[in-house]
This record gives sequence, structure tokens and C-alpha cells, in this order.
Amino acid sequence: MLRIDQLNVTYGGLQALDGISIDVKAGEFVAVVGPNGAGKTTLFKSISGTVIPWRGTMLFDGVDLATLAAYERPHLGIAHVPEGRKVFSGMTVFENLEMGASTEEGRRRWNDTLDLLFTMFPRLKDRRDQYAGTLSGGEQQMLAIGRGLASAPKLLMLDEPSMGLSPSMTDVIFDAVAKIHKEQGLTILLVEQRVAEALENCDHAYVLETGRVVLQGSLEELSSDDRVRRAYLGL
Amino acid sequence: MIFVEQALQTLVAGLSVGCIYGLLCVGLALIFGIMRVINFAQGDLMMVGMYVAIFVASFVLPPAVFGVATPFIAALLVVPVMFIFGYLLSWVLISRTAGLKAASLTEGDAHQAQLILSLGLALILQNGAHILLGSSPAAMISPLSSSAWEVPLLIDDFSAIFFNKARTVNAVICVVISVVLFWFIQKTRIGKSLRAAASNSEAAIYMGINVSKAHNIAFALGTAIAGIAGGLLVIYYPVQPHVGVDFVIIMYAGVVLGGMGSIVGAFWGGMTIGLVQQLSTLFVPIQLQNTAIFVVFLFVLLIKPEGFFGRTVERA
Repeated sequence: MLRIDQLNVTYGGLQALDGISIDVKAGEFVAVVGPNGAGKTTLFKSISGTVIPWRGTMLFDGVDLATLAAYERPHLGIAHVPEGRKVFSGMTVFENLEMGASTEEGRRRWNDTLDLLFTMFPRLKDRRDQYAGTLSGGEQQMLAIGRGLASAPKLLMLDEPSMGLSPSMTDVIFDAVAKIHKEQGLTILLVEQRVAEALENCDHAYVLETGRVVLQGSLEELSSDDRVRRAYLGL
Repeated sequence: MIFVEQALQTLVAGLSVGCIYGLLCVGLALIFGIMRVINFAQGDLMMVGMYVAIFVASFVLPPAVFGVATPFIAALLVVPVMFIFGYLLSWVLISRTAGLKAASLTEGDAHQAQLILSLGLALILQNGAHILLGSSPAAMISPLSSSAWEVPLLIDDFSAIFFNKARTVNAVICVVISVVLFWFIQKTRIGKSLRAAASNSEAAIYMGINVSKAHNIAFALGTAIAGIAGGLLVIYYPVQPHVGVDFVIIMYAGVVLGGMGSIVGAFWGGMTIGLVQQLSTLFVPIQLQNTAIFVVFLFVLLIKPEGFFGRTVERA
């Protein structure tokens, strides 16, 4: 579904991504883990088009993403839930979700999606007419994910959904994501610093360090790797 | 009794001026609220609207057909003209200093570029109008601006207040436009997309919203509103190329008073300024009416620094 080949991104001469190749197949749950500054968010922004790569190709369902402007890419079925949530704070919860459904597919499936979202996150239903800026961090993350799902995407990209959340709220969010993946069969690309939780549910993972893929494989392969066990899982 | 009559008459004048100021402030607030662009050319865009209205009324609309409605129809026709003008301005010029192109700059740097650009635009519009149209004031003659509806006060036999017909119709049009615009921004999908782009342009892009286009539409709408407000104003206020300078200060005061970024607030901010400007003449010499505006302005900000409708929904 998403094939990234030899992606290079530089910020004013500083190499942020150095020849990254990533493959996400339809229906897969793929995690990209790594420490701060590894280039995880840059990778996501390149896919979404808010960062322009210097070299490399990105194909989504066979479409070369470089030929599309950033705002056109969600209409292909890519939903990006950004780091730090970035909800529309002066708009209500409901309006935020409506904005998520800006894509044609999202508008077509609006009623079904809304039912699904409100069943999955009843708190959003309770607060549907409240300004998003007044929600707690966890609720904002639910809203950000809900807003992404409202576009009825083929690929859901989550950029550090656990950021700034309590451990119990993080569990709630990760459970929800795992459930979406299992029940909807939605393809998920997750970026996380919390490696243990991220690896728990994924089919395939990439370990990023200073802009390079240093390791990749299935959950079993990674969790039996000594480097991962020592550096990330604390075993 | 004479004082009561005078006070009511001044109140009527204040309300009618306030409606026009309110509309002008709404146009500016729209541009600031959605694009975060500080536009110093807003008064001059109003001036262009005034000239366009005169042009349309004198050369496009046959007075024999539209009669006394001619100036008002001319003002309405300013909207599409100025919308297109504003869209082009934003697309060709303003967008280079705003939104994504300026995303790599810090907020301060981007604002400096916008300030200089909009000041330059203001100078070009003023001096361009000067070269093309000369410096002598022009006016739209309407029979309605010299006639009034008389409403008797029932306190005695001879007291009455007068509603200037042109100003009253103007005020009603201003309120209607402000309400329609507010509805558009709050309730329609395009309006909501504009707000989303204003709230977080990066996230708006991830929703598939064309943020550059949203900015162009916002600027075009703001320009069109400055234009129609000018078109209505010129029915009783003569235009010359530098007329915008006085108004842009009033517009900024109104927008700040109402709370930066709030469209409803901007209308009430403009209304407050209109009322203060007119009512102050009851107590202080007329030369001091603009001083009175800023005394009230400072006083309000001292008590409520975020303005009447300043946003306080943000959670830290």
C-alpha cells in the first residue's frame, strides 16, 4: 500500500532522514520506533507533504506522492494524526470531526463513522459541543484519532499518540488503536517512543536511529534481538 | 427636554456610524483571524471600494431604472469586484508572506514582512488613486442622504428625532451582511474549513483542506467587506485618495476592543467606537471626539485586556 524507497530529507544541510526504505502492506500494523530526533516525525511529514524530501520515492497505491500537493494526499486515503494532537481548539468536538470528514469518502460514510467513533470513545459523545481546546490531553488524543478516522482512510498514521499522557490513558489509546486495526482491518502506521507498547500489537516494526533504519522485522524477530531487548525493552 | 432630544439624536447617529464601523472591523478581523496577517491596507481597500461604487453608480447602472436604490445596488456590486481584486492580491502578493511560505520564518519575521508589504500596498493604492483620480473629493449624490424619517417623541408636542434615510438603510445593510457572514463562517463547510485553517494550518492540511486557498478566500472576503462598507459610506461621506488613513486606525481600535480574531467581537468593537465617537460630542468639543475614542479604548483594555470577546477557551 505504501512503499517508501531511499528517502532522504535534509533541513538546511542537516541530514534528518538518510536513505529510509519502508514498506506497509494493506491490512498491516507497522510500527516505527526510535529515540527522540531519530527522524520519525520527519518521516510522517514527508509522507503527508509538509516536508519536501530531497531524494527518494514514495508510492501510495501506486501513486507517486511527490506529484500531489500536501492537501491532496488525504483524499487518497491517508490520515495523519499529528504529533501533539493539534486539534482545532476554537472549534467544537463535533466540528473537529466534521473537518476530518473533508474527504469524499469520509462524507459518504459520515453517519456510520460517527456511530463507530461515539461507541469507541463515548467521552467524545458526551463532549460533542464543547470546544476542543477545553478537553484534557487524553480526550484531545481521542479526538485527534477520531478526526483521522472520520476521513474514512485506507491508512491511518499515528504520530506518538502517547505523548504527554498518563500510563493508564496511554493504555486506553493503544487498546483503541489495536481494536481499530483488528475490527476494521485498517492499515496502521504508528510512530512511538514507547517501544514496548508499540511493538506489542504490530505485525512489523522498524527501528530508526539518527535518520536510518538500523533494524527491522516482525515482533518475534525484534523482541529476540539483543540490542532491542537491552536498549528499548529493558530486559 | 432639549438635552434628551439631542442625546437620542446623537445615539441614532452613533448607531448608524457604529454599524458601518462594525462592518469595517469585521472585514479586518476576518483577515487577521484567519490568516494572522496584519493588513494596513484595509482602509485603502475601503477607499477603492468607495471609488468603485461611484463608478458603478455613475456609469453602469442607469438611474432611470433603479431610482433611489442606485447607490445601494452599486455598493452591493462592489462585492464581486473587490472579492476578485482581494483574491488576486492574496494569491500574487500576500501569500508570499503568510501561511506555509512563511512557516519557516518565526512569527515575528513573518509579521515584519507582512507589515511592510501591506504598508507598501497602502501607499501604492493611495498614490495610484491620486494619480488616476486626482485629489479632489468625490461623492455619490443620493436624494436619500438629504431626507429623513421623523419620529416624534411623545414627551411634548414638538420634540422629534430624525432618521436619515440613507444612513438608516446603510445601517440595516451592514447588520444583515455581518449576520450573513457570521452564519457563513460558523455554519457552512467552507466557513468551518476557514476556521480550521486559522486554528491550525498544519492539521488542516492533514484533513485535506487547501489552506492556501482558504487564506485567499479569507482575504478576498475581507477585501469585499471593506469594499461594500466603503460603497455604503460614500453615500454620505466623500471619498479622496487618502480617506483610508483615518479609518484604518478606527478599524484596528475596533478589532482590538472586540478581541483579536473574534468576528462578533469586531462588530461590537466597531459599534462601540461609533457610539463613543458620536456620544462624546454631547460632553466634549467635537474636535476631541477621536480623543474620546482612545480614552475609552485604553480604559476598556485596562479592565479587559483580551477585549470584549477575546478567546479564553485555550487550555494550557
